[in-house]
Amino acid sequence: MDREVLERFRVGDEAAVKVVYDRFGGPVFALSMSILGDHGLAADATQQTFIKAWRAASTYDAGRSFGPWIYAIARRTAIDLYRKRARVVVSDDVDIVSFPIGLETVWEVFEVRSALDRLPDEERQVIKMSHFDGLTHVEIAERLDIPVGTVKSRSHRAHQRLIEMLKHVEEA
Amino acid sequence: MTTEDSRAQYLASGATEGGESQERLDLIRDVLSTDATWAEPPPQVADGLLAALAVEAVPGPGMDQERSGRWALVLAGAGGLVAIAALVLGTMNVIQDEGDNVVAMSGTELEAAALGEAEFGPNEAGWWIRLDVTGLPPAPEGRYYEGWVWSDEGEGVSIGTFHLRGEDMPIVLWSGVPLADYPSIWVTLENEDDGPEASELIVMKGRIQQVPEA
Repeated sequence: MDREVLERFRVGDEAAVKVVYDRFGGPVFALSMSILGDHGLAADATQQTFIKAWRAASTYDAGRSFGPWIYAIARRTAIDLYRKRARVVVSDDVDIVSFPIGLETVWEVFEVRSALDRLPDEERQVIKMSHFDGLTHVEIAERLDIPVGTVKSRSHRAHQRLIEMLKHVEEA
Repeated sequence: MTTEDSRAQYLASGATEGGESQERLDLIRDVLSTDATWAEPPPQVADGLLAALAVEAVPGPGMDQERSGRWALVLAGAGGLVAIAALVLGTMNVIQDEGDNVVAMSGTELEAAALGEAEFGPNEAGWWIRLDVTGLPPAPEGRYYEGWVWSDEGEGVSIGTFHLRGEDMPIVLWSGVPLADYPSIWVTLENEDDGPEASELIVMKGRIQQVPEA
């Protein structure tokens, strides 16, 4: 992300907040969904995350990567929201709350979604149809009405880009 | 075929050997197939964010009256008055969902950027108090933070310690004394070599307005 945008975000500039949301809204929502498993709660958590980030913006060091900073806020916010909801139903004991989804993959969800959002639309579409919808290259070609060779080349480029962007996840 | 090509091919199909990082590639493949990864935030989130920031009682860092006014203009341009009212009400619901047992915590002049909340509730042994704050840096080596509940008569009781060096918020503390009698919540910065009494380095404060029956 542009350093100037981050500097403006750091001092609370509203236009910069919008830019930051456009870049990180998807990953934060995906992370929230992976923890909360509910669209409404994930929307609340996403909104609260950016409000908290905006309030705490003066503590952000623009010389460091922004992703891990907002990831930490988002994770904490979603877990907090889950605990609040779970406690109402389950128990008064705040320390005994089990999560429906393992927290160990939350970081990967955030990073993978961040990488997906940086792919060109047509490559992202092929990745989604392949991995999420489970379609073959032939089926994707039929759905998009393009040659199979084009699907293959898009898929190859997209996976190469993902590998490059997710090198740090792969090596973690 | 390069190693990178091979890994890309494995990620694409799982058909060839992924090498040493195969386990991580499998995890990425799993993540690519989950609902959460592809979930899109509803457009109301962005609009609600604008609305929430526009009605924020506490100005953002470096934000002055002129900026607050600009927020209002941005918001008006985004949706119109009816939409604004709906969005603000939606935002207020989120805040109210947090319940009555929540007190705002703010940083003192020692940690002006610190901001957050303390939620509290009864348990069998007294009261749990859950701190969730941002902007409070990790305590320096040799020092730590300590939570206190404080009576109007000037008596403080420790409710626990933390240092934020690798700990995640929220921090859960515990009070054995009734919060109705000790309604102020303070966080101090303590020196490991000092005695058990509170230091004068108060970094955050909050006050419970009304304590429900335990």
